[in-house]
Amino acid sequence: MTRLWAVFAREYAGFFRVPLGWVLMALFLFLSGLVFTRSALVPGEPATMREFFSAWWGLLIVIAPAVSMRLFSEELRSGTIEGLMTAPLPEVTIVAGKFLAAAAFLITALAPTLVYPIILEWLARPDHGPVAAGYLGVLLVGMLYLAVGTWISALTSSQTLAFLATLFLLLLTELAAARLAAMVPEPWNHALLALSASARITDFARGLIDTGHIAYFLAATIWFLALAALTLKARRWR
Amino acid sequence: MIEIAHVSKWYGAVHAVKGVSVRIEPGRVTALLGPNGAGKTTLIRMITGYLAPTEGQITVCGHDTVEQSGPARASIGYLPESAPLYPEMSVEGYLTFRARAFGVPAAKRRPAIDGVIQRCWLTEMRRRRIGALSKGYRQRVGLAAAILHDPPVLVLDEPTSGLDPTQIRSMRELIRSLAAGRTLLLSSHILPEVELTCDRVLIVAGGRLRADGAPGELVGSAQARAAYVIGLSAPAANAQAVLNSVPGVERVEPDGNRWRVWPRHGTGDLREPLARAAAAAGWVVIELTREKATLEQVFMNVIHSEQPADSANARVHDQAVPA
Repeated sequence: MTRLWAVFAREYAGFFRVPLGWVLMALFLFLSGLVFTRSALVPGEPATMREFFSAWWGLLIVIAPAVSMRLFSEELRSGTIEGLMTAPLPEVTIVAGKFLAAAAFLITALAPTLVYPIILEWLARPDHGPVAAGYLGVLLVGMLYLAVGTWISALTSSQTLAFLATLFLLLLTELAAARLAAMVPEPWNHALLALSASARITDFARGLIDTGHIAYFLAATIWFLALAALTLKARRWR
Repeated sequence: MIEIAHVSKWYGAVHAVKGVSVRIEPGRVTALLGPNGAGKTTLIRMITGYLAPTEGQITVCGHDTVEQSGPARASIGYLPESAPLYPEMSVEGYLTFRARAFGVPAAKRRPAIDGVIQRCWLTEMRRRRIGALSKGYRQRVGLAAAILHDPPVLVLDEPTSGLDPTQIRSMRELIRSLAAGRTLLLSSHILPEVELTCDRVLIVAGGRLRADGAPGELVGSAQARAAYVIGLSAPAANAQAVLNSVPGVERVEPDGNRWRVWPRHGTGDLREPLARAAAAAGWVVIELTREKATLEQVFMNVIHSEQPADSANARVHDQAVPA
């Protein structure tokens, strides 16, 4: 546990010791504020954050790869990975520590957005359920995107490449779900549709907590983290 | 104790380490020498568990570096080449991270960190950002991190690189003091330094272990092949032939207005026979010395000789004559 904490604490604090962390946080809050004022504060409309949460996967798809790109690529580039991988830390601990730090950073960036439902509360009477469900959905999509980014970052020593490859993979999955599914015959299109994180986040924003969605996100997150740990292990045998 | 048994490493089609077997005992400083690309760093990385051997087995304090990698890695303190560190962390923050990662118990962390900070002369730097430190200081932070958990095995890849002469001196003393009761393996490019610090020298070239012995032993065996330098008052045309006829001489080469005389293997001191031969020919000897073999010469002989030694107990014997 101390070892997991060691990796986690170093990585989490690291986000705030480099300009990138602050820039990402500022960008995230600026964009989410923009989305909130345009989608939730509409006179005469019901007080919901449905549109707000639905718009979020578009934010996450850019922010998450920028958060995760550093996790391993920076260590591979600077050579610090050697010190990390010769410490008595199992690959799983390294991956889990780094991923949890990235997730904690995302939660830290999300925390100030709680001011939006408070504003809504002050102006009108929003339904609390969908707001809570919306946050859960954003969190689950965020975890999955960070897990994909963690894996890709373990593959390359270039942060830029890690960012672009993660963004590309996430976008491709969404596009496959949105566009390709319409062209594919019956049983197969469901498989493609199931890949869409944006569709699932919309369900959460409507206040629908589907255990299927939760299971999907958790399983996919663990799968990509396992891939990252295997990638790391494979480096020893190269 | 580090035991390396029949270890080979392939990077794709490149055979970087070719069947190395050696046992490195505690209580001594062992140096690993070799030209760049000889497989030195690959060997070090396999010992520290960063890379897995393609063939063979390495055990550190009885733990297999692949099968029991956790305990094996926990018993090693490793300073990688050029000491890569996290520039955004403070010296103290980094050492705290390393102490946690190596499972130093919370109660022992503070004294351990204070101890290594003092031992590696980092007291004034403990709150500085690593990125703002000079190369010499970063090297010491790397060393402090390596000895933090008091490991029985220390592996230092180029510990003196980037240090000034005074720091190299202190580092030499520090290394000697660290060797007590520990297995200490270091690699270096500074051969006079190795001669002073190390009890045993391993020379690797072309992925093979080519020489193994105490520095004195290796230098001694090279000394048996060292050339004599003889200077004569009036250089005569037939001097080379005369010197060549002295029993025990293998080869004579002119060197300016002097001659360099190489002895045959196993011959005794040739100074007297050479002086007598010169006197008999009617020449006055104005200079007659034997060249001092150095570890550097041993190193050059070994890496330039073609025949690879195939056993772990390779000794420098029939090496090519220095060019």
